[in-house]
Formats: sequence, structure tokens, C-alpha cells
Amino acid sequence: MKSIERYHPADSFLNTDSFPSVWCPGCGIGTAVYTFIESVKEVNIDLDKIAVISGIGCTGKIAECLKLNTSSVTDGSVVDCAVQLKEKDKDLTVAVFLNNADFLLSGAKDFIDAGKKGADLIVIYVNNFICAISENKIFPISPFMRMSIDNEFELPYNIPYLAKSCGANYVARWTPIHAGWMKYSIIEGILKKGFSVIEVVSPCLLYNANNGSIQDAVDRMRFYNDNSEIKVGESAENLDLRSQNKVIIGKFMDSEEKAG
Amino acid sequence: MKVEIYIIKERCKGCGICVEVCQTKVLELSEELNSQGFRTPNVINPEECLNCGMCEMFCSDFAIWVSIETEKVGV
Repeated sequence: MKSIERYHPADSFLNTDSFPSVWCPGCGIGTAVYTFIESVKEVNIDLDKIAVISGIGCTGKIAECLKLNTSSVTDGSVVDCAVQLKEKDKDLTVAVFLNNADFLLSGAKDFIDAGKKGADLIVIYVNNFICAISENKIFPISPFMRMSIDNEFELPYNIPYLAKSCGANYVARWTPIHAGWMKYSIIEGILKKGFSVIEVVSPCLLYNANNGSIQDAVDRMRFYNDNSEIKVGESAENLDLRSQNKVIIGKFMDSEEKAG
Repeated sequence: MKVEIYIIKERCKGCGICVEVCQTKVLELSEELNSQGFRTPNVINPEECLNCGMCEMFCSDFAIWVSIETEKVGV
């Protein structure tokens, strides 16, 4: 008798009522969630000992779609909430999904404090280059020379350098088409004692569709494939998104110096 | 080795990534629409599937997966 598998392998981790999900077709957040679930399966820890904290916006919906101990907290207090949860129960594995609004607009101080204290967190930062689909507004992570109403240009943050300088033990950057590498990065981040930061460069499809450069999800995959370059162990000063033509991805830092 | 490809059409959003990443051209975007109005993929030549799992990994809506067909012993 043939056994028919009627459920997705990740369905035991998902709130299946919340599907189809709220994300755009082919959004990189879904791939980040899939790789997180796969890495949790691989590490094989007790599911009562995992907590997932996320904030607001598209990335905040991760807390609704996962069937783990999740919480979607207010803007700006995401890393703070995770640090206090970790201090309360040392056995917990706390994963944090951040987006630009939670991190750079209002939560940057908490992030720096957590890195300085060496809190044992894994931070998955989904970098989509915009905040609240504000195309015409300049934002701390806006790409250089983006068109704006008042033509003011700012240089974007170099997130891996920021994470390294505030004391992270593990820093990596991937794009959604490098999901296999990203999975092993998340496994290493879960097992690592200390602050681990993984940046997922996943430009928003809505913004790029309006821009005219990238029309749909398949174009976006081709764009990542052509414009990324793996350089493992590259020095964090050279990881700006502005000065090179290619996005440098890879694992940039892996140390055991400071365990929280 | 017989590989089974499962698709939940109601979750699919028709982005076409699974069709693009398949190296052996197993899938194809069909003309039929699901209840939300998205074009869903169809399996056209299932014998070519290698069980690499790329479509499952890149699907951001958890709508497609592959598994090797197994036979239960006893029952």
C-alpha cells in the first residue's frame, strides 16, 4: 500500500490557516522562513525551547505564520524584548526577525546594546531597502542615488560592519537564491554562543516593479544571480552596498571571543 | 526511483520560480487559474524529476514539495 504524503514537510511548523500568506509572489521573506524551519529541523532542539520575536510590517507577519512560541511586538522594542526573554530563561533559543523599520528607524540602540552585552540571540535581518513602501523618501538604508522628491542623497549603512563593531560573534550576508548557504548560516548562528547577525538582502518586489528595472520574481532571481559574488572572510569595511557593482555575500566573521 | 511532486494550488501565487529553477523542465505554468486568480504550475514530465528539492526550497508560499514514493510494509 502506497503512503501518500499530503502535507508539506514544513507544515508542522506553520499555522496553515494563515495561508496563502500575505507576502507578494516570490518574496524573499518566505524563503527566509523556509530556511529557518529547515535549520531548526536540522539542529533538532526541543520546540518548546525556541522563541521567535518579530516586529511590524511584512517581516512581522512571520510571527503569525509560525506555530512556535512567537510574538509580534511593537516597533522598536524587538531586540529589547528578545534580550529580556533570554535573560529570563537561559535555555531558550531566541530568534529575532528584523526589518528596516524595527532596526534602523527606532530599534538601533537596542541592537547595539545587545551586541555590546553579548546577548545569545540569532538576528535575521531582512533588508529590503525601503520602509513602508516609501519610494520618494530618503531612509537610512536607501540605495545611493535613488530618485527622490527633494534630490537629497545619503549613503546607506554598512550593516555587517555595524554588527561587527558592536560586538557580534557571527556575521553573514546572503540573498534568497543562496538559500542552501543561508540554511547552514542559520544553523551555525543557532549553535553559536553570543550575538549572531545574518543579513538577507531581499529587495522589495513592489518597489522594483514601480522602478521598471525588475518586473517579477524570476527577473529578481536572475538579478541576484548576476549581481552577487561570494567572498567568504572578506573584511567588513569593504561590504558597502554602494561602492561596488556587485553585492558581496558570504560569512564574514565567526569568532568565539565573547560568549554571553 | 519514483519521485512524487505535490502542489497545493490554493496556496500558489504563480510567481514562476519553481518553473525557472527546475533544471530538467518538469514543471510548466498552466493556463488554469486558482481561486485567487493566479496561474499555477503543472507537472508535464514527472519521469525527469531528480528529487533535488530546489522548487521546494525557493517556494516562498510553501505550495510545492517533492518526496520519494515509499511503500508501507505490512498494512
